Amino acid sequence: MSSSGNIAISIKNLSKRYLIGKKKDTSLRGTLSSILKTGNSSDEEFWALRDIDLEIQNGDVIGIIGKNGAGKSTLLKVLSQITRPTTGRIEINGRVASLLEVGTGFHPELTGRENIFLNGTILGMTRKEVAAKFDEIVDFSGIGKFIDTPVKRYSSGMYVRLAFAVAAHLEPEILIIDEVLAVGDDEFQKKCIGKMKDVAGEGRTVIFVSHDLGAVKNLCNKGALLQEGKIIFTGDIKETISKYTQAFYSDELNYDVSDYSKRPRGNKFAVIEKISINKSLLSPIDSLEVEVLSRTLEESTIGKKVHIAIFIMDEMNNCLYHFNSTAIDYAETFAETNKATFLINDLNLTKGTYSINAHLSSNVIEYDYVEGVVSISVDSQTIFTNQTKFVGKIFKTFEIE
Amino acid sequence: MTKIIIDASKSNRLPNLKELYRYRDLFFTLSWRDFRVRYAQTSIGLLWAIVQPVVTILLLSLVFTKFAGIETPVPGLLFISAGMSVWSYFSYVMTNSGDSIIASQEMVKKIYFPRLIIPLSKAVVGLIDLGISILILIGLMIYYQVSPSANAWITPVFILLGMIAALGVGIWLSALTVRFRDFKHIVPFIVQIGLYVTPIAYPAEYVTKTLPDWAANIYFLNPMAGIVQGFRWSLFGGEPPGTAMWISIVMILFIFVTGVLYFTKVEKNMADYV
Repeated sequence: MSSSGNIAISIKNLSKRYLIGKKKDTSLRGTLSSILKTGNSSDEEFWALRDIDLEIQNGDVIGIIGKNGAGKSTLLKVLSQITRPTTGRIEINGRVASLLEVGTGFHPELTGRENIFLNGTILGMTRKEVAAKFDEIVDFSGIGKFIDTPVKRYSSGMYVRLAFAVAAHLEPEILIIDEVLAVGDDEFQKKCIGKMKDVAGEGRTVIFVSHDLGAVKNLCNKGALLQEGKIIFTGDIKETISKYTQAFYSDELNYDVSDYSKRPRGNKFAVIEKISINKSLLSPIDSLEVEVLSRTLEESTIGKKVHIAIFIMDEMNNCLYHFNSTAIDYAETFAETNKATFLINDLNLTKGTYSINAHLSSNVIEYDYVEGVVSISVDSQTIFTNQTKFVGKIFKTFEIE
Repeated sequence: MTKIIIDASKSNRLPNLKELYRYRDLFFTLSWRDFRVRYAQTSIGLLWAIVQPVVTILLLSLVFTKFAGIETPVPGLLFISAGMSVWSYFSYVMTNSGDSIIASQEMVKKIYFPRLIIPLSKAVVGLIDLGISILILIGLMIYYQVSPSANAWITPVFILLGMIAALGVGIWLSALTVRFRDFKHIVPFIVQIGLYVTPIAYPAEYVTKTLPDWAANIYFLNPMAGIVQGFRWSLFGGEPPGTAMWISIVMILFIFVTGVLYFTKVEKNMADYV
């Protein structure tokens, strides 16, 4: 063994570029014509990863954190050989298994038993290895007597449990996990975390990506923070998480959104330039101030009534709250610039990451819509004791008589 | 311990055979999945495998043997069944492996494994249909009291060549379809044309007799032309196929090898395109 015997993964100078065409023309005709017009390509470059250097030691459980679009998933895809990097070199010592999504390759017509073999071999096990672990997998999944039923008859919970059970029984030296903990009910999640801890405890290397900072903190010992395709911090997981929350979730946040050219919605007669938020330190968040600054670009708009709204969305992009100026007596008209400050009380958001979208219009003519830029995160849970986990999104006080 | 090196500046030109072998169980599982899904679920699954070739054979023999009066060395029905059995296997495998990467895009996007396994695994399921056609063929031979020739032992070689031809074309198509969806529409076209430019319903002598030499040579560039002819020769005897068959065989190997090489070249970025 060489001197690098302690290193599970070494990444040097890794970059991954995607070409995003204005309109992706992958047809034969498109390619033929772009070959004829050599060099004149309308593709735009997008670097999902840029000059990544990272060393992961054997036995490390490393959490990769960062905002959406920071390059986390791309990094995992490159590491698990699903896609090839544009530059750089990676050395991996050991067998890798990746769980980028559980249940890949499951066929609805096949029985649970058949799918265990199918999924297991897709994940890189031999049939013999699957057979040896079969009872354990069935046991872990809790599927029991339904094992010989086609999985199309399973409930979605059963389906996911079986899929995860197969994945959890892989025995690679290096395990790559992306967001799989967000499955199943509470009890099953606990089981999964337990299984992951076992894996980590056996001295295997785990790379874990999740938005659930709690799970990351719980599971990992090291962390790497990604921002716009670059690693901006590596180190102890607690430090990484605090760097992350500092960088993105300070109490007062100002988002400059003056570059409206990439926002598809609205005619841009008036555009949103800046969104600032100020949240209370309480957890769950109970009050929020959102200030929206806008600039009017089209002169004819001046004097028209401002219709402004903000939306609070959860991770799945469900709208939890909609605050619309038309719902209250708001008589402001468009000037050269406008400022609207929403004062919101009793939000009671609980653990999770939420994005705040802002919408500007007048008389049902849409001017501008900013989405997915502003986000707030609530990461500790103080509502209940440790035994009970609050699973709601919004907390309300109540009494029991 | 396994060591994996991913280096952007180097790219594989040849398929990693060791790795393919390591994933052999995936090959079997995928073949078996296709088999299960194709036959075990539909109640008349196996019946379909019989009805389709039988109807085609009957129609072809009606048109070519009865109406057009094409002369065949053995009874027309038997002659056509022999050609059709190899041809249907070829077209089935080619169609399915050609479409296979797109059809398994969920897997391709989520998990790494040698992608070549996917089109390769399609060769197995077709063997069931081939077996059924061969049973029909044997039945007809008994009915017409045609005994197999002394060359019958060589039949499996032609089936194997047919398999390589189908996979060769299929692997090309599967890799091309990922990049250019247009190829999806080309496959049914190949199948339709192939039925006529392959000596299935008529003996190849019609081609060699009517067309000038150069045109006949082009005709035999169709890999299946030599295979179908050779398969029939090994069953019924008669004049051996000669150089024409060799053209087809060289063509098959060429298509297969270039197909695998092209596939290996585009394999690593398939997940970005599907």
